[in-house]
Amino acid sequence: MTAHIEVERLSKTYRHPMKVWKVIEAVKELSFTTDPGEIVGFVGHNGAGKTTTIKMLMGFVRPTAGRISLFGKAPGDPAGLRRLGFLPERPYFYSHLTGRELLRYFCGLSDIPGAAAKGRIENTLRMVGLSDAADLTLNNYSKGMLQRIGIAQAVIHDPELVVMDEPMSGLDPIGRREVKDIIRELKKNGKAVLFSSHILADIEDLSDRILIIENGVRRSFGPLTDIIPKQDISWHVSFAAPDRDRETLFAAFKGLRATSGHFTVTIATEQEMNATIATVLDKRYTIIEAGPIYPTLEEVVFRMKERSETEVHHG
Amino acid sequence: MGKILLVARYTFLEMVRHKVLYAFVFFAFFILGLGVAITQMTIGEPLDIISDIGLGTIEIFSTIIAIFMGITIIQKEISLRTLHPLLARPLTRPQYILGKFFGMLLLTLVGIFFMTIILWVMLYFYGGPERMTVYLPSLYTIFLQTALVVSVAVLCSSFVEPAVGAMFTISFYLIGATSYNLVYLINKQSSDLLKNIVNFLRYILPDFSNFNIKDNLVYGRGLENISLSFATLYAAAGILIVLAVAVIAFNKKELN
Repeated sequence: MTAHIEVERLSKTYRHPMKVWKVIEAVKELSFTTDPGEIVGFVGHNGAGKTTTIKMLMGFVRPTAGRISLFGKAPGDPAGLRRLGFLPERPYFYSHLTGRELLRYFCGLSDIPGAAAKGRIENTLRMVGLSDAADLTLNNYSKGMLQRIGIAQAVIHDPELVVMDEPMSGLDPIGRREVKDIIRELKKNGKAVLFSSHILADIEDLSDRILIIENGVRRSFGPLTDIIPKQDISWHVSFAAPDRDRETLFAAFKGLRATSGHFTVTIATEQEMNATIATVLDKRYTIIEAGPIYPTLEEVVFRMKERSETEVHHG
Repeated sequence: MGKILLVARYTFLEMVRHKVLYAFVFFAFFILGLGVAITQMTIGEPLDIISDIGLGTIEIFSTIIAIFMGITIIQKEISLRTLHPLLARPLTRPQYILGKFFGMLLLTLVGIFFMTIILWVMLYFYGGPERMTVYLPSLYTIFLQTALVVSVAVLCSSFVEPAVGAMFTISFYLIGATSYNLVYLINKQSSDLLKNIVNFLRYILPDFSNFNIKDNLVYGRGLENISLSFATLYAAAGILIVLAVAVIAFNKKELN
């Protein structure tokens, strides 16, 4: 299995627009790869370096250092671009063209011949739910519709990988859901997607792997369960016990909670959980559930940020 | 070439639907109409006056369209990120720049065509429609001059903000329109040093007198010393140089 994107020690520095002697490091030695068929969520707060990284992937800006390979080619190589689709952040297309005209234009740019283009346009319009609005000019489109026509132009040439910069940005909950459904549909059809977002719920919901970037530096990369630091995972044991034992149980287990007929203990380590399970079974109570409690992606990112700030203060 | 024509086609299609373009064309028609009123108040051959105002209006308005539609043509696409999905397709930056130039050129050509029809209708009502044939070389040189202005507008749009681009393109047009007379005046009255400087500059600065045959044709002097081949070569060389600079500048540009 060959990686779609290979990024190795990628860096980008800019001169400060006002203080030209000052250098801004937008991306620092970033490395990652993405594989066919997977959805990779690219997380970071505003200004973390997500868009700069995507612009370097697409060949819009040049890296200061490092290497990028898209399907084994350099960014901007036509052979690589044929296998790639791109949706910019808050896309704005030619407002006086109709949706259908815009897609015809992109078919031409993608070297799709006229006869094949017709069918491709109809199918893509159907996929993004814009068949009825295809002959309206784009200045009559809502934000959500513009986002969907943006996705349509990104996939019209049937790429293997679609790169999306903040695809859910500025959309209402319905628009966000529609875009998320399209991303899921792309994965179902075997496409890989790399998308950036600072809406962590969307990233958590869609991504097979998550790349977290902070101040241009990679903080973590992998499936959500792998990127969570061990100290952020807690464990729990839920069991059923007679109500008459309540007082004994509260004395025996620290942090015990009683909820609708059963008891739950939350503990810090797996070993403590195993010991708790042994105690509960010894007393002949029934185990209902036991296992890890993972924090949400939002909590993970927040704690990472807190730790890096602490490191800065102490370092 | 196919990709350049494709970009040109959609650039034209997008711009021709802009309401601001119709405002320019409507105003041009209004000025042409005003020419009729002026013939009533002026001594002289009405056909000459209508022709003079008509060809002048075509020149000015094709230049206005070239400048005001041209200076935003690329910068707007960068700031609104319309350009990014295009360059994410197998389309090179030179193809994009040249496509934009030819799209704009087609727009000004269509503008000149419609204004010419109006002028022809006016000449017809004043009994001189055959004059239009005589004016064809003048319309051709107006087109060449406008093409040169379009190329400068595209160059400016590829690397500076629209306001700066407009100032630069307007300056280019004004220098081009006046340089011949300025050189003539300075050569008549100034010191040798100034004459030498001016005579050097005249090879660098644009000189639109190479395209100015309107007066000769309107007042029956024929083409005299003006060579259409030279005007064509002059415009082509200028456009090539300007577009080459635009392509080089745009290739180096970081699309932030």
